Amino acid sequence: MSDSITLVDYEGAITFGTIEMLLSKLRNSHEFQILKKPSRKRLYGIFVESIDNIYKYAIKRQGKSGSPPKISVKKEGELYLVRAGNLVLNDDVGEITFKLERVNQLDVEALKSLYEEVINKEPRSNDTGAGLGLITMALRTDRDIVFGFEVVDSSHSFFEYEITLKG
Amino acid sequence: MEKLTLAPTLNTPSINFDPIGNKFALKGESRPENVRNFYLPILEWLEKFATEISGKDSSASLDFSFNFEYFNSTSAKYILDIFKILNSINKAGSEVKVSWHYEEDDEDMYEVGMEMSRMAGIPFEYVVEES
Repeated sequence: MSDSITLVDYEGAITFGTIEMLLSKLRNSHEFQILKKPSRKRLYGIFVESIDNIYKYAIKRQGKSGSPPKISVKKEGELYLVRAGNLVLNDDVGEITFKLERVNQLDVEALKSLYEEVINKEPRSNDTGAGLGLITMALRTDRDIVFGFEVVDSSHSFFEYEITLKG
Repeated sequence: MEKLTLAPTLNTPSINFDPIGNKFALKGESRPENVRNFYLPILEWLEKFATEISGKDSSASLDFSFNFEYFNSTSAKYILDIFKILNSINKAGSEVKVSWHYEEDDEDMYEVGMEMSRMAGIPFEYVVEES
């Protein structure tokens, strides 16, 4: 088992100010800076989309306290792992599962077709319903997005996923 | 029509639209806190500009330069909408030249440009920026 190096590890509320702080922490970490530019940009993009998802979901659904969102970036051997998690409504579990299973099943060309369908369909809003963000992240990794839900109570589950990038 | 100028911030690109000089540029990173509030005035400015130049005889091309370091998925929708407006300007008879800048080893940004160009139906010139 390879040693794990932590670039970012955060647990707590995500505000727009927090996003800047976390991005700055990522950009300034040594393990980020030693990446070649294409990998660095991919990791940056996946991290931004992950934080955006948490931030927007938190705005849409005022989460209950006790299960704060979390996000981390770790390096294990040559692999970089982005892990993100936040509380979701049990009613949303089916839709989130559908979207993730769909992007995991599609190859690059099919993901591009889905991207085109979604980007043209969605209205001009602040929220793409995690649709484009998930597709964008899936296009940046050649591995499946690993995800799971842990039931918290009758209304909520904690949703977590992990995306792996080659360094 | 007046220029549209916005200074860059940590999470929004600079905007320099000069309708007199026919030069229009976006440069930087795009992940606004409120993407709608940031891009809607830009889209409205372009739509007004498209109306103003419609039917006018001009031999000068309109040079649009897109130089994004990064943009998030919520910005992508609005950026594509910019290209759709440029396509309509082109079709109405004013020549639009789009240059899409990307850093020399940033294949993802190059590919996103190809997809945007295809989806909006407007050709891009690809410009490699040395990193």
